[in-house]
Amino acid sequence: MSSLAEYFSTDWGAMTTNDWVGTILTVVVFLLLVIVYVYALRPKNREKLESHKHIPLEDESTESGEKNVGS
Amino acid sequence: MDATAEQKYNLGVVRWFAVMSIVYLVVGASVGVYIASELAWPVLNFDTSYITFGRLRPLHTNAVIFAFGGCTLMATAFYSVQRTCGVRLWSDKLAWFTFWGWNLIIVSAVITLPLGLTQGKEYAELEWPIDIAIAIVWVSYTFNFVMTIATRKSSHIYVSNWFFLSMMIMITYLHVVNSLAIPVGMFSSYSIFSGVQDAMIQWWWGHNAVGFYLTAGFLGIMYYFVPKQANRPVFSYRLSVVHFWALSFGYVWLGAHHLQYTALPDWTGSLGAAISLAMIIPSWGGAINGMMTLSGAWDKLRTDYVLRFLIMSLAFYAMSTFEGPVMSIKTVNALSHYTDWTVGHVHSGALGWVAMVGCGALYHLITKCFHTEMYSTRLINIHFWCFTIGTVVYIVAMWVSGIMQGLMWRAYDEYGTLVYTFAESVEAMHPYYAMRAIGGAIFLTGAAIMLFNVLMTVRKATSEGSVQQAQAAAAGA
Repeated sequence: MSSLAEYFSTDWGAMTTNDWVGTILTVVVFLLLVIVYVYALRPKNREKLESHKHIPLEDESTESGEKNVGS
Repeated sequence: MDATAEQKYNLGVVRWFAVMSIVYLVVGASVGVYIASELAWPVLNFDTSYITFGRLRPLHTNAVIFAFGGCTLMATAFYSVQRTCGVRLWSDKLAWFTFWGWNLIIVSAVITLPLGLTQGKEYAELEWPIDIAIAIVWVSYTFNFVMTIATRKSSHIYVSNWFFLSMMIMITYLHVVNSLAIPVGMFSSYSIFSGVQDAMIQWWWGHNAVGFYLTAGFLGIMYYFVPKQANRPVFSYRLSVVHFWALSFGYVWLGAHHLQYTALPDWTGSLGAAISLAMIIPSWGGAINGMMTLSGAWDKLRTDYVLRFLIMSLAFYAMSTFEGPVMSIKTVNALSHYTDWTVGHVHSGALGWVAMVGCGALYHLITKCFHTEMYSTRLINIHFWCFTIGTVVYIVAMWVSGIMQGLMWRAYDEYGTLVYTFAESVEAMHPYYAMRAIGGAIFLTGAAIMLFNVLMTVRKATSEGSVQQAQAAAAGA
């Protein structure tokens, strides 16, 4: 038995319901995160996602107080 | 267009939240400078229990985090959600309930904390009746925000709203669980958790107050106000999506890194540190995304003082989110834990990131909501430099002080005896405590200048009748 195998050894019988729920949820959320990364970074989705970045600039742009610029 | 905005959106509640947030910034920073001075010159306690460091410190943290930070988050979330969704707030009445409720909670904190009425939980000191009030008001804020999004005219929910929503949901959950207590009187209660579980819950809340309230919420501010002020879209929307999910997933794991070398199981601290290090990637991704929004238009920083606040805040955000993970590593934590280095780290985030981005956003929306230019752009510039210099002086003092403390506390001689007594380490801190108070005072000067500038702007708007004109035009339209 290598020390690495010993390090990662688990007493599965001692796992409580809480332990299982926590473990499964963590793995599921991790996989969901991977799916989000793949979706967001897939070149095919680039145009669609990037089109949303103009939303804040699409409301009115000619109000007073537009800039606080110095001279 | 002013009339259109006044007719279309509820700007009244935003105006009140915005002005009150700056009032609370001055109050909270004043208390901070005073307690920093007490540490340098203990005579300032005046032997009066109500103004000792132990009583005023929670008042300072509550005032800057929940009064200034809370009002800023409420002003900016209510403002930007209306703009990005193209609709008025779902309920004006609920928005005003949130305003008055939140301010009453702040008043109750100002009364109870100096009286020593506290649960003794960091960043959750307020007693159980106030905790219940916080939950009710916070849920009213969340519900109004959610319903405004639900009635939006745009098909997509802009990323700033995701960050705000993430904060609202998580803070509801964290606040309720962390505040679970058995009341034994009107102003006395005991946590339902005990021992190491209590510590774990406390820092699960404590770090996520930083992670969701002071980071996710203020990133919501960043993703709306940086593009608006720069008049350019955010550098990469895809990066903002990755930033959001990585941050939301990662932050909830970090609390245990506050409890290294305690009774907490060792693996929880290791896990907290490992995820903390992983969080550098999304944090820096977000900071770069914000800064690169100015790509090709860096010249704007020369003249746009509000933009300076927003971009400088991102530099501090990047710095703090690198420093924090490094401090969570056990080897570094062995030196930094319980020292002033932690205080310096917190303030590089609080002063450099939260206050900077908050003030930048407030300057932007005050001109929009009062339909006029700021009273003085020169004062904005002076404010910016007060904040920058004050923050740097503060955090440098705490870095030197903290590292020196850590080294003095663990210095042994050849016989295995401590080289320094604790009192000697306290004495060695004195110059740095004075330097911290000076840095804080410079920062406070900036906040006071902002308050003056904003009040004069409100006065200018009143004399010009800009708000009334916009409202009258809106009513006639």
